[in-house]
Amino acid sequence: MLDTNRKIQELLIDYAGSLRDGCVPVFLKSLTRQEGRAIASSEEFWDAAEVVRVLNGVGFADKAATADVGLFTSRVDANIVSRLKKAKTSSRARRAAGPKSVTKTQKTDKPI
Amino acid sequence: MKGLTAPDVERRRRAMEPFVRATFDSFIRCLYRYLGNEVECEDVLEDVYADIWENPQRLRNVTTEKELLRTVYLYYMRKRLREVYRRMNRHLYLSQKDLTNLTAPELGVLETMSQTELEQALRRALGRLKARERRAIELWMEGMSSRAIANELKTTVGAVKMLKFRTMLKLKKMLSEYCHAG
Repeated sequence: MLDTNRKIQELLIDYAGSLRDGCVPVFLKSLTRQEGRAIASSEEFWDAAEVVRVLNGVGFADKAATADVGLFTSRVDANIVSRLKKAKTSSRARRAAGPKSVTKTQKTDKPI
Repeated sequence: MKGLTAPDVERRRRAMEPFVRATFDSFIRCLYRYLGNEVECEDVLEDVYADIWENPQRLRNVTTEKELLRTVYLYYMRKRLREVYRRMNRHLYLSQKDLTNLTAPELGVLETMSQTELEQALRRALGRLKARERRAIELWMEGMSSRAIANELKTTVGAVKMLKFRTMLKLKKMLSEYCHAG
């Protein structure tokens, strides 16, 4: 990184910029050990970060809210169906595995 | 909401579509605060809705829209938000606690306000700022970089960063006062 050990106001502005541009991971990766410590100990940073998030929600969330809800509901439904299938196959597998272990124990039980 | 908490999974599945249609706008706006990326917001929200379908118990006693958003954020969205960044943690110089506080925080005073309340409060607070402070925030919200704002305000980049930082703190104080008064 070009900018090493940024001051707390610079860190806040960079965080705000990354949130506005949708690239928070880039900001997180850019932090040095010292900057990480500075963030952790600065109450002002956390206060300002809350405002940054609020501004982000008020100022830019329209971009996300214009998505096609119809298409999105089908995505959610597909996700639910895949979870239903997974649950069914896992319960079937459990059922299939269950009796086997019982018979095994029964078999071993008899001689004893 | 009735069908949403029903014990029958198929009934719950049928109830999801109207629920998604009714809540999508407010949920995605809420997520956008923390992610700032519409594609990622949709991916996370898809899992959030599926989690709600799978385990809707937390929504049983919800009566108001505000309560719904709060409950969904605290019990469903936060878990998913944490997962987005969990894998990154080993490469970062932030502790797990600080990373969570930054990317999926507990709800602060301002974050418990509804969108309309926030917009009103923000408009009032911006009106009480000095002209230069207000201009810096407005330009930033238009998508300008610190350098472009510095050019516009005829000052240095460092001064703009400091001005924005101080203004954010001022806004936090004003918005909190408004919140407590409300």
